[in-house]
Amino acid sequence: MIETHHLSKVYSRGLYALRDLTLSIEKAEFVFLTGPSGAGKSTFLRLLLLQERPSEGEVFVNGQNLATLKRSEIQEYRRGIGFIFQDFKLIPTRTVLENISFVPEVLGVPAAQQRRRAFQVLKWVGLQHRINAYPQDLSGGEQQRIAIARALVNDPVLVIADEPTGNLDPDLSLEIMNLLREINAGGTTVLVATHDRELIRLVGRRTITLDQGKVVEVA
Amino acid sequence: MRSIEYAFRQGGASLWRSRESSAFAVLAIALALIVVGAMLIVTWNAEQLLARWSSAAEFSVYLRDEATSDQRGAVETAIDSSGLSNGREYVSKAEALTRFRREFAELAELTSGFDENPFPASIEVRVRPDAQHTTAEALVKRLMGMPGVADARYDRDWLTRVGSGLGTVRAAGLALALLMAVAAAVTVATVVRLGLRTRREELEIMELVGAPLAFIRGPFVAEGFLQGGIGALVAIAALWVGFLVAMAWWGTDLNSLVGGGSVQFLPIRLCLYLIFGGMLVGSIGGLVAAREAA
Repeated sequence: MIETHHLSKVYSRGLYALRDLTLSIEKAEFVFLTGPSGAGKSTFLRLLLLQERPSEGEVFVNGQNLATLKRSEIQEYRRGIGFIFQDFKLIPTRTVLENISFVPEVLGVPAAQQRRRAFQVLKWVGLQHRINAYPQDLSGGEQQRIAIARALVNDPVLVIADEPTGNLDPDLSLEIMNLLREINAGGTTVLVATHDRELIRLVGRRTITLDQGKVVEVA
Repeated sequence: MRSIEYAFRQGGASLWRSRESSAFAVLAIALALIVVGAMLIVTWNAEQLLARWSSAAEFSVYLRDEATSDQRGAVETAIDSSGLSNGREYVSKAEALTRFRREFAELAELTSGFDENPFPASIEVRVRPDAQHTTAEALVKRLMGMPGVADARYDRDWLTRVGSGLGTVRAAGLALALLMAVAAAVTVATVVRLGLRTRREELEIMELVGAPLAFIRGPFVAEGFLQGGIGALVAIAALWVGFLVAMAWWGTDLNSLVGGGSVQFLPIRLCLYLIFGGMLVGSIGGLVAAREAA
């Protein structure tokens, strides 16, 4: 599903965020990406989302070389990816339902279908009773479940989560991880960046450890 | 189609949310269009007057006192056969004198001292409105060479001069309008950009979910378009009120300026051009800002 060859990302003053990274993640796999702060986890995810371009090397997702994608193709590529961030990235001026239906809406899905699909994923994360609430009226765990629902509404082949439990307590974190496991059980590839070793131990999946932009351990 | 509907829904909502700052953009566009509209009212009325004068163009052929009736007949035949005449009238020496006394009553006494009538007989010819200026001039030159003709006057040069003066006014107005349109577009871009910054997170999410560029940028262009349209409507309303006030205060003077006709407000066609122009300027401003969105 994801393959990188000698991938490097250099920022100004020759500072390497990633250095000569070669790794592979299979389709329908659940993988943790871990390491200390500044190890390069978020940079790697940004490269996958094409928010940044690599300095050297190549990234293949689903057989597609990301370096060859044009502007319009990038948007098309992103439609196959669900993303979850530590800070949830919900739109504060929109209700829960609107935050989710917004994704199919901007992809041109008819209104009735948008709402039906949004309601389905909301039901799946157990928040169908909060459809008219605004993000600021929800707890951190609820907001992250909304973010997960939004990531799933477009049936992605890959879900990328950057520290999805960073703002949550251990019980809520496990709850979120269980949701991600369920997503993975449905055949979706899940890549989670976290520095929470305890959570990784509890979930028990393949873990790639980065340090100073290099793979130091695969377990 | 869905992206257009989305763009206008979001653009309208954004316009409402930032209505105070949007008012500046609307005002900038309205001011620019008031200048353009005022210039259009002046030039359009002047053009109407010029057209009336052009269609009322005529020339006079002055006959020698000793001209025979055959010579006069030959001149009249030349006029009729030219195809340029829309009618002609023979003014005898006596009629010319009467007309002078009537039209210049204060100078009438001057003519009483003359031993004989100094005014020549003439043929006044109304030129067809569709007649070519050069063809009419050629006819006048030919008539001047005919026996019995003392002189012929066909003075259209002043009309040409007024026309070119009007062209200069129009060009100056257009340059000013263009300058103001650029200023208005910059104001729209600035206001839309402010709204864009408050929606930065939403735009980032849109980019990440793979929204097409039309969905990301469209609302900003629509917002500029709406600001432009509202600005144009405000400008037309202001011009209309200004026109009514001006007509109430100086209506008689203004009407006499246009040769006794009545000064008109802009026709619907020009009002629509103004609205379209406002929307175009607004859209350009919105598009400039939208390029920052994605």
